[in-house]
Amino acid sequence: MSDTSSSRPFFSVNDLHVHFAARSRLFRETPPPVKAVNGLSLSIEPGRTFGLVGESGSGKSTVARAILQLVDIKAGTITLDGEDVTNVPSGKELAFRSRVQAVLQDPFSSLNQVHQTRTIVGDAITRHFGVKAGADRDNRVSALLDEVGMSPEFLDHYPYEMSGGQRQRISIARALAVEPDLIIADEATSALDVSIQSQVINVLKRVQAETGVAYLFIAHDLEVVKHMSDDVGVMYLGYLVEKGDAERIYDGPAHPYTEMLIASIPMPNPVVQAERRALRQTFGTQPGGGIAEPPSPSNLPKGCPFENRCPVAMDICREEMPEPTPGHHGGEVRCHLHTSGPELGGESVVHFIESQKLSSPAGSGSAV
Amino acid sequence: MTGATVASGPEPIEAPLESAAESPRRRFWRRMFRNPLAVFSMLWFVTLVVSWLAPDVLATHDPFKQDVTLQRLFETPSADHWLGTDQFGRDLYSRVIYGAGFAFRSIFIAMSIAVGVGVPIGLFSGWKGGRVDRAIMWVNDVLFSLPIVLLAMAVIIVLTPSLTNAMIGVGIAMSTRFIRLTRAVTLAEKEELYVDAARITGISTPRILTRYIVPNLLPALVIQAAIISGAIILIGATLSFLGIGANLDDPDWGVMLNRAQSVFRQEGVWQIVPAGMALVLTVLSFNLLGDAIRDALGRDAGNNALTVTKRVEVAPAQTEHAADAVLSIRDMDVEFPGQGGKISEILNGVSLDVRAGETLGVVGESGSGKSMTMLSALGLTPAPGRMTRGSVQFDGRDVTNLSEAEWAKIRGKDIGIIFQEPIAVLNPAIKVGSQIAEPLRIHMGMSKADARKRAAELLAEVRVPDPERRLDQYPHEFSGGMAQRVGIAMALACEPKLLIADEPSTALDVTVQGQILDLISEVQERHQMAVILITHDLGVIAEAADRVLVMYGGQVMETASAHDVFLSPKHPYSRALLETMPQSHDGQGELPVIAGMVPSATAWPTGCRFAPRCGFATDACTSSMPPLERVADPAQGDLVQADLIRCVRHSELGLVGGTA
Ligand SMILES: Nc1ncnc2c1ncn2[C@@H]1O[C@H](COP(=O)(O)OP(=O)(O)OP(=O)(O)O)[C@@H](O)[C@H]1O
Ligand code: SF4
Ligand code: SF4
Ligand SMILES: [Mg+2]
Repeated sequence: MSDTSSSRPFFSVNDLHVHFAARSRLFRETPPPVKAVNGLSLSIEPGRTFGLVGESGSGKSTVARAILQLVDIKAGTITLDGEDVTNVPSGKELAFRSRVQAVLQDPFSSLNQVHQTRTIVGDAITRHFGVKAGADRDNRVSALLDEVGMSPEFLDHYPYEMSGGQRQRISIARALAVEPDLIIADEATSALDVSIQSQVINVLKRVQAETGVAYLFIAHDLEVVKHMSDDVGVMYLGYLVEKGDAERIYDGPAHPYTEMLIASIPMPNPVVQAERRALRQTFGTQPGGGIAEPPSPSNLPKGCPFENRCPVAMDICREEMPEPTPGHHGGEVRCHLHTSGPELGGESVVHFIESQKLSSPAGSGSAV
Repeated sequence: MTGATVASGPEPIEAPLESAAESPRRRFWRRMFRNPLAVFSMLWFVTLVVSWLAPDVLATHDPFKQDVTLQRLFETPSADHWLGTDQFGRDLYSRVIYGAGFAFRSIFIAMSIAVGVGVPIGLFSGWKGGRVDRAIMWVNDVLFSLPIVLLAMAVIIVLTPSLTNAMIGVGIAMSTRFIRLTRAVTLAEKEELYVDAARITGISTPRILTRYIVPNLLPALVIQAAIISGAIILIGATLSFLGIGANLDDPDWGVMLNRAQSVFRQEGVWQIVPAGMALVLTVLSFNLLGDAIRDALGRDAGNNALTVTKRVEVAPAQTEHAADAVLSIRDMDVEFPGQGGKISEILNGVSLDVRAGETLGVVGESGSGKSMTMLSALGLTPAPGRMTRGSVQFDGRDVTNLSEAEWAKIRGKDIGIIFQEPIAVLNPAIKVGSQIAEPLRIHMGMSKADARKRAAELLAEVRVPDPERRLDQYPHEFSGGMAQRVGIAMALACEPKLLIADEPSTALDVTVQGQILDLISEVQERHQMAVILITHDLGVIAEAADRVLVMYGGQVMETASAHDVFLSPKHPYSRALLETMPQSHDGQGELPVIAGMVPSATAWPTGCRFAPRCGFATDACTSSMPPLERVADPAQGDLVQADLIRCVRHSELGLVGGTA
């Protein structure tokens, strides 16, 4: 998606870098910074959802926090509707907050325990529309509760009096209160029970259909992301290794790591899962049966960060970080396979990996 | 969350020891009034407040009125002078009462300064963080380390000696305590998601501090203030005693003690008693009050997570155990006393069997009783819960009423347990090698060297690279996946017959999850263990389980082979669960949902517990509790293989799975 289209995207993040400086210690060498996000770009149009997946620590939340002005950005720009919102000055913060909202992961800690629903949601209304606490504001809160499928009796409930699913819907109502253009949902359904998760997912989708809000939907559950998203981005150690049309990425991942993630999703069907297990085990172990750990984000290798876990790594992978190249799904992929070795040219890697595994049954991972 | 957690391992058990709907305020006062020391200190506090605001209500005499006849000096208690008189014949009882006013004035002055200075600085420092914070804390630590009396003296020297000035000094000195406390709380709260959420909403920083941080700081502040109040009174008295506080005529406890002390050789010890007792009791009660408030606010007050309920006679089960099961549970009920004598029934009629070489998957939503089933079966029902019915058989032996000492020989040896948060189970201060070796030395009586050798073998068995080196590392040097391998190695250490894995892969990444599941099935095959795999993830169950037990509302809803549960679920709940998963849904439309929410354990619906959410519910479902029935033909299979189902309509509905 390297700006070939002439029209400007509605919301975009361009080449975002976020580093966390390690704390300096007296008389000791300052450790290198944690490189949490390394050159990430994405864009979202109104009414659409960009899903962000990746392992724990891959930098998903840091992207969200950077957009929300909660961490310092090292490099890169963020634009909303043509306006630069990389570092919003305090005078414009309120205006920015009224356009970009968030639903955070933990329904137990993202609501202040000492406030009732009417205050939690109402405070946002007061702040952005100047409506003082009272019957009017309560009516608006009730209307928002209705939108997320809750009755007005929850107005005077405290967070501890509500279930996880209810609290998460209160968080959604609070985000909707300011009528935002973009909602960042960071693991918004992860802490919920299976039977409640589907309720919240439906609420999010319904709200989108009604208001045209755009979502950046972050989750580690690939199936939930697939169901929610139009486009998907896959992060590994702060790099966006692949992005593109959701459906097509799931059908034909162009990056070995994406393929590994998809192969690892356990399906609720023992017959299907028995086959998938074999596929997954292709990735499980390294040559020799050992288990490779991802490198530390404060000490990234100069080549591809996935190299030590990749079943089809090549010599060049240790030397050079692959640059983004176009993928068959209309997006991009960062993997040498597309330009070197088999030169897959952005196509799915599934068949290539399978053929490599078949040709080297001992499990040796070297492709070239 | 009100549940108790055992050894910080498995999922929080949703045992409503105290109903979730009770407001923290009510719970606080209920706990306060239940604690005798708290009641005593509160009563004493009220008395002090009355003595301060309306001393004449309690006092019997004018505290300044001297006995001009000089007849009644240095008296001991009498009907007229309850606590005797002092050197001027003034009524000691009344003077002690009036002394409370001085005590409170001291507290008021010192506390206003301490809180007024300390809290804003602490908030600022904690919120700013970084360099500013470090500089402020450096200065604060220096001041903190100076004796309070010294600071008070310094202020008196600069200003003039008076109790007020002394208390200004004390207040400044005490503010260092409040700076520390406020900063620590602010630093912690700042990281909380709800503060992020407030910032995202656009709430301004001062408002976040006052409306979001301060209310959460309040409890800690009150506790600190109570304890510091005691100290302030003591310091005030000390300064007065030294003659640099209150005036020599004032009915101040310190002054009174000073006077008493100077005459105590001639007039005996009594003169010291009234003011001394008042002082001691007041300081003590402030400290008790602080402790009591802390306890009453504590989330788990009076509920030690590791205390196991004393065993009571358990009503026997109705049905027989399977002879060849490694673990067999029949008709198990577990109850927790709730509020106002209400009982919450956490488990009802739970039965299960698992055989050698077999993996039983236990699936259910949070609060369905998965973890509690395992804990209770192992004699670990967290207090104050207890098993009231049923029987448990392990390895052919009835273990329902085993003593804790006997259990200790079985758990960790014949039964290995893997927890959800592997890191939480490991002691951060002890090398991993020693932690793996410990059960080997206890249960197998191995020597130190042998245990270490075996520990290295075990790490190799769970495929931890470079095991020898890893033995000497600390838990924080292990990633989540590696730590879980250590957890598995520890569970396997004594070659158990049964391995219980409670959400073993939930905290791990999906790619690591697969490796852990592979590892469990690998070691299971090698050792022919029985495995119970508890999880809320149906995908994990589908991958690893031979048989599946579906739980809801503390009951077994369905037991069948994995194949049947997934491909032709008979119970409406099993079926609904499968349907709500995004995996089962390819379209873009709405996902099917299970309406409503999991009911609370204090208020199960009558009849079928799933009825309020069940699409097939009829009157028959709500009139009485559906029994757990056997479905498979008993002639065909043995007891273990029998499929069980708890639904009155199962045969009539003849539900067929999606992928028939
Ligand atoms: N405030 C911070 N200071 C230092 N390092 C941080 C900070 N926040 C995040 N990191 C580091 O940045 C990297 C990315 O973390 P991030 O929280 O964005 O990951 P994530 O993909 O959201 O993970 P999860 O799935 O566990 O939520 C990690 O290595 C993490 O330890
Ligand atoms: S093939 Fe090379 S570049 Fe591509 S993911 Fe594997 S190691 Fe990285
Ligand atoms: S007994 Fe009735 S309510 Fe319960 S699961 Fe069966 S059909 Fe549904
Ligand atoms: Mg995160």
